[in-house]
Amino acid sequence: MTTNAVSLQDVSLIFGGKDTDHVLAVDTINLEIPQGQFVAIVGPSGCGKTTILNMLAGLIKPTVGSVKRHGQEVQGPSRDIGYMLARSALSPWRTARKNVELGLQIHGVGKSERKERAEELLELLHLEGFANAFPSQLSQGMRQRVAIARTLAIEPDLWLMDEPFGALDAQTRLVVQAEFVSLWEKSKESTVIFVTHDLEEAVLLADRVLVMTARPGRIKSDNLIDLPRPRVIDELRFDEKFKAAEHKIWKELRDEII
Amino acid sequence: MKSSDTNPSDNAADADNSESTTDSEKRFDVTTLPQETNTQKIIRRIDVPVQLTRIVILAFILWIWQSRKIFSGLKIFGVEILPEIIPLFQGVPTEAWDYVTKVWDDSLFWEDFWVTLQEALLGFLYGALSGFIVGMLLGRFKRAQKVFSPFLIFTNAVPKIALAPILILWYGVDIGSKVALATIIVFFIVQIPVMAAVSGVDPDLDTVASSMGATQMQKFKLVVIPGILGPLFGALRLASIYAILSVVFGEFLASKRGLGQRLLYQINNFGMGAAIALMSLLAILALIFNAGIGFMERKFLRWQDDSTRGNVVSL
Repeated sequence: MTTNAVSLQDVSLIFGGKDTDHVLAVDTINLEIPQGQFVAIVGPSGCGKTTILNMLAGLIKPTVGSVKRHGQEVQGPSRDIGYMLARSALSPWRTARKNVELGLQIHGVGKSERKERAEELLELLHLEGFANAFPSQLSQGMRQRVAIARTLAIEPDLWLMDEPFGALDAQTRLVVQAEFVSLWEKSKESTVIFVTHDLEEAVLLADRVLVMTARPGRIKSDNLIDLPRPRVIDELRFDEKFKAAEHKIWKELRDEII
Repeated sequence: MKSSDTNPSDNAADADNSESTTDSEKRFDVTTLPQETNTQKIIRRIDVPVQLTRIVILAFILWIWQSRKIFSGLKIFGVEILPEIIPLFQGVPTEAWDYVTKVWDDSLFWEDFWVTLQEALLGFLYGALSGFIVGMLLGRFKRAQKVFSPFLIFTNAVPKIALAPILILWYGVDIGSKVALATIIVFFIVQIPVMAAVSGVDPDLDTVASSMGATQMQKFKLVVIPGILGPLFGALRLASIYAILSVVFGEFLASKRGLGQRLLYQINNFGMGAAIALMSLLAILALIFNAGIGFMERKFLRWQDDSTRGNVVSL
């Protein structure tokens, strides 16, 4: 049996100390994700979606249970994880290109190689003319694309995406989603865990959609999305099979939000 | 450079279409706009009306001063804004200028100048460096901040100028006591805003760096220090002026050399013109100091808009 890319066993996490008010953020999560799968996690806000990503990124440790990658317990941040936050979180003092280089710089990659890799990615994301622009000179959508480029520059094998397109307007979101999904479809090897509160986005992009309950977060249902790839995001929205899949999961999700 | 978000695939589509559309289609051509020549650019930047108004105002101030009109007293609604000044205590710009031309070739004067400059520079350097390091560490390590903040708050609350006589006893009447006073004053001016600024750095930037496996040192270099440069430079500008203020005060109390010492001597001997000249000189020194910091600021904070960058702090 091959080991899964990501494996969570009986993972619970409590925020707060022993005598202060503690909050059970996630409750007994069990989850196996094979390499190369695109998993979306949807759930009401505050259900612990981000907490799961933080544990996988090695930024926090579970109170009980084990978080493993390729069969190895997660000890701390790892170089082959790309983590993208909801807000683009670009350094305002760095140009677009230098922002993309951040991870490479931390990993000690040389200057010229950094530059080359960053320019390549900016081109993939249609930002080649904006390499020397500062974030304040870019639109929301462009900033988010720079953040995608920064996340992928270190060639991660696990992509953790925390509501990456939540701040974008509907049309920009479609464009960036399409770019993102095609980048992933090209890479094919990488595992994606994509947290969102937008069910349509989850079903459009992912192979598998997990629905979480309101706090304490548990996995309520696990749904495989049987839609062909490569996906044409803007057209797929009107597909009957897509609508049926979304509707089925919506029934699960609505009980948690309403 | 501000650009609206454009759909890149639409751009590609535009490019394709442009070949098929005819040239007769009317489009606005930006190159038809009148171009500004270099001389025009310079003139626009100098902003002649502003400069002229400034010169007029300066001339007016010098004129009412030189004509001694300000010394005859001024009452507004029965309140004495300016008292009447006896001739012995009056000083006018031409007297100040006479003093400058007199001391310009006097090597003793330049020795005094160098003493004061040295005191201010050293005090600024020590105070700014220690304030920066302490502020950054305490801002970053909250536990340490909790331990040390009552001590720092108390020390800062001490009227630090009142330390001057003690410092003169401890460090002597030479430059040591003035450097010490300036160091203490500059330290707090820098430490407090730096500490606050560290907490203000976007926590998401820290999360991103952490998730990429950045070490604590890398985070200082890549996230914390660049993130606090704005407030740091603001503090340094203020500190540069206070460094000069502290050393002049120190020299007033007890000193053998220095421009502050010279200034006090002149006032004690009713050399009002000389006093005005010396004060103006100290102000010019502070402005040069400030301009130096402003130069570095522009270099480091190129990414900020001009509107968000601070101007010369004047107090």
